[in-house]
Amino acid sequence: MNATARYRLEATGISKSYGAVNALTDVHIALLPGQVMALLGENGAGKSTIVKIISGLVSHDEGTILIDGEEVQLNTVNASQAAGIAVVQQEFSTVGTLTVAENLVLGQRGAPWWWGPRKLNRSAEAILARVGLEGLDPSTLVEKLSVAEMQLVEIARVLAKDAKIVIFDEPTAALSDAEIERVLTVVKRLAAEGRSIIYVTHRLGEVFEIADQVVIFRNGRSQPPQKVSDLTVDKVVTMMIGRELGDLYPDRAEAMGEVVLETRGLKVAGMRGEVNLKLRRGEILGLTGQLGSGTTEIMKAIAGTEDVLGGTIELDGAPLDLHGRRRGITSGIAYCSPDRKKDGIFRGVTIRQNLSSPWLRRVSRLGVVNRKQENTEAVESASRFAIDKTRMNALVGNLSGGNQQKVAVGKWLGIRPRVLLVEEPTRGVDVGARAEIYAQLRRLCESGVGVIVSSSDTNEVLGLSDTIATYYRGTQTAYKPASQWTEPELVREVMHREEVTT
Amino acid sequence: MTTAQGSAIAFQERAGIRRTTNAIRQYALPILIALVFVIASIVVPQFLSFQTIRAILLATAVTGIIAAGMTAITLSGNLFSLGVTASVVLSGVIYISVGSATGNIFVGALAAVLAALVVGIAQGFIVGLGLNPVVVTLAAGAIIYGATAIITGGEVVAARSRELGRFATFAIVGIPLPVFVLVAFTALAWFVTERTRIGRNVHLLGSNKETARNSGISFMGTTIWAFVIFAVGLGVAAVLQVSQTLQVQADNFPELTMNVVAAVLVGGTAVTGGDGSPIKSVIGALFIATVTQIMVLVGVPQGTRYFVLGVIVVVLVVTLHLLRKAGSR
Repeated sequence: MNATARYRLEATGISKSYGAVNALTDVHIALLPGQVMALLGENGAGKSTIVKIISGLVSHDEGTILIDGEEVQLNTVNASQAAGIAVVQQEFSTVGTLTVAENLVLGQRGAPWWWGPRKLNRSAEAILARVGLEGLDPSTLVEKLSVAEMQLVEIARVLAKDAKIVIFDEPTAALSDAEIERVLTVVKRLAAEGRSIIYVTHRLGEVFEIADQVVIFRNGRSQPPQKVSDLTVDKVVTMMIGRELGDLYPDRAEAMGEVVLETRGLKVAGMRGEVNLKLRRGEILGLTGQLGSGTTEIMKAIAGTEDVLGGTIELDGAPLDLHGRRRGITSGIAYCSPDRKKDGIFRGVTIRQNLSSPWLRRVSRLGVVNRKQENTEAVESASRFAIDKTRMNALVGNLSGGNQQKVAVGKWLGIRPRVLLVEEPTRGVDVGARAEIYAQLRRLCESGVGVIVSSSDTNEVLGLSDTIATYYRGTQTAYKPASQWTEPELVREVMHREEVTT
Repeated sequence: MTTAQGSAIAFQERAGIRRTTNAIRQYALPILIALVFVIASIVVPQFLSFQTIRAILLATAVTGIIAAGMTAITLSGNLFSLGVTASVVLSGVIYISVGSATGNIFVGALAAVLAALVVGIAQGFIVGLGLNPVVVTLAAGAIIYGATAIITGGEVVAARSRELGRFATFAIVGIPLPVFVLVAFTALAWFVTERTRIGRNVHLLGSNKETARNSGISFMGTTIWAFVIFAVGLGVAAVLQVSQTLQVQADNFPELTMNVVAAVLVGGTAVTGGDGSPIKSVIGALFIATVTQIMVLVGVPQGTRYFVLGVIVVVLVVTLHLLRKAGSR
C-alpha cells in the first residue's frame, strides 16, 4: 500500500493507438471517493476513448489502472463491472418491450430467475426511488416512458449493480432543461452516497453545477486536473481550444459567385424553427451545433433523404422537388453522411466501384457498364482527391479512416456536383488527412461548387467556412460571416447558450 | 521492439493469413468436387459411366440454373426465395397445358417463363417494400402451391405427346440440351451480375443497403431486378425439369428449394449479400448432384441421403463462413 491508495480510481500513463492514429497519449486521471469529475474536450480529443478503456470496451496499449490502490486489468466489460465500474450510456441500452422492473434486473446476478413479477416490482421500487422515480409503476413498459425517464431508468439499472464508480457519457445530450435538472439531482445524490462519478459532457453549465474537478482533454492528452471553484467559463473554453487556427485550414474564399442554393422557410421534422440559408458558388457554409441541434436533419432534407414539411429549397433559382436521393443526384447535389461506415462507403467493395457508385448510369450504355470509361473517370477522381491510383482494386474497408473519407467524398466528383453537402468531414481522421480533405473541399469550391459543411467541431467550422450558421436544439440561432466570429464566441454560442449567458 | 514495429509485423502476418484463407475459399470447392470424382470412380462401380455422368449433369442443370438466378437475390442482400418448388410446379403445369393445347413447345416454354416472371416480380415488389424476403417467399410459395393444387384438382397433369419432352431428349454430340442451357444461362447470369449497371447495383445494395440508398441506388428497383433474373432462370429450369418427367403434380419436387439454397450456400456466396457469383452457385449445384448420385448408386435410402447431404452442407457452410471471417479481418 502506498500514498495513492486513497484514490478510488487512478489511471496513469494511459496510451492507446488505433493503427497509426494516437487516440490517447500519456493520460492521467485520479478520482477520490464521492468526487464528481467532469471530462471536457472537443470531439476526438480522447474523452470517449478513456471512457471505453475504463469500461472495458477497448484495451489500452500502455499505462496502469489502479482501483483502491490495486492494479486491475479491465480487458472485458465483465472485468470492469466486477471491479465496480458502471457506465450510463448516451444511447439507451434498455429494452423497450420489457417492463421497467424487468429492465432493472437484465444482465445482473442480483435477482434470482424464479422471482415472480410481484417480487421484482417490489425490489424495483426501492431502486427507482433513489433516482427520483418514486411515482413510476415498475410494471410500465419502458417504451411508454419519456426520454428523461428512460435515462433515469438507465441510471437506475446502473444503481442496481451497486457500482463504486459510475461513468456518465453525455447523459443529457437528448434532454430538455427540466429533464436535465432531474438527472443532475440524481448524480449529486450518487456522489453524496460516496460513489465516484466521471461525467463526460459538452455542456459547460452542467459542469459548474455538479463537478468538483475538471480534466480537459486536448489532442489525446489530458491536462492537469483543475478545481471547478478556480475556473471560469472563458478559462475552460481557452483550455479546450488550446491552439491557434494554424496551417491546417486553407484560405477563405476571395470572391463568391451567384446564389446556387437557397432555402426559404424550410421546415424539417426535428427542427423547431424555419431554416433560411443562402449558398453561393465558391462558398463554404458551415453549420454547427451539438448533438440534436438539427444540422443533420437540414442536410438530409437538402440531400433528399428526409421529408420537407414546409418551405422551399431552390437550386439556381428553380424550386427543387426531392423525393429520395436519385433526384438529388441528378440535380447535382452530393451528400456525404456523418457516419461513413454505416452509410457512406461500401466496405467490402473496391475503391474503383465505390467511386463510380453514384454515377454508374453515366458510364453505362444500354445498361452495360463501360469499364474502360468507368476506370478512367474513377482514376481521375482518385487523383484529384490524393487517393493512391495503384490501389484501385483494394477494398475500401481495408483503408485508413482518412482514405476512407477521401473515397466517401471523392465518389461525388463524377456527378459534376453543383452543391456538396458534407457532414462531419473529418470524424475519425488523422491530422494529415484532415488538412488534405480541407484543401480538397476548398479546391472544389474554387471550381464553382457550393459547399455546406456541418460539424460539431467548432474549430473545424471556424477554420474552414466562409459563413457560419449555428443551431441550438432545433433552432437557427445565428448566421453570419466567419470573419465576425471568434472561437470562444462560437463555442459559447453552440454549447451553452442559455446556461452561461447569465 | 517498439509497438509500431510490432503492429507492422502483425499487419503483414494478418495480410498473409488473409491471402491464404481467400485462396482456400476460392478453390476449395472445385478441388473437393475433383476429389469426390476420383474417389467415387475408384470405389463406386458404374460411377464412371455415360449414364451416371448424364444423370449428374441433368440434375445439375435444373438446380444449377435456378441457383444461378437465386444468386442475384442473395447478392442483393435479400437472402433467398423459399418458394422455388411451388413456382417450378406452376410453370411446369403451364408448360404442359399450353404446350399440349397449342402443340408448340416453344409457345409452352414462353408461357411457363412468363408465369414465373409474373410471380417473381410480384414477390420482388413486396420484398422491395421492405418486407422480410424469407416470410414473403415462403408465404408466396404456399399460395402458389395451393392455387396450383386447386386448379389441377390435385391430379397429375400429364403431357399428351412425347413431343413435349424434346427439350430434355435433344442432344448434341451426346450431351443433352439442358447442359447447354445451363452453360448459356450461367454465362448470362454472370454477365448481368458482373458487367451491367443492374448487376453492379445488386452487388452494392447487398454490400451496404444504407450507403446504396445515399448513392441513389433504388432498393425497390434493384430488388425487383434481382427477382427478375431469378424468375427467368426458374421458368427455364421448370421447362427442362418437366420435359424430363412429362408429367407434374402439385406436390412434386419437394427437395428442390433446399437443394437450390444449399447450392448457393455451398458455392460460397455470402448470405449477407454483396459477395458471390452465379458460377460459384452452379459449382455448388454440381457438387450436390454428384454426392446425391453417388449415394443413389451405392443404394443409400432416401432418408439417409437427406441426412448426409444436410450434414455436408452445414459443415461446408460453417467452414466457408469461418474462412470468410478470417479473410476479412
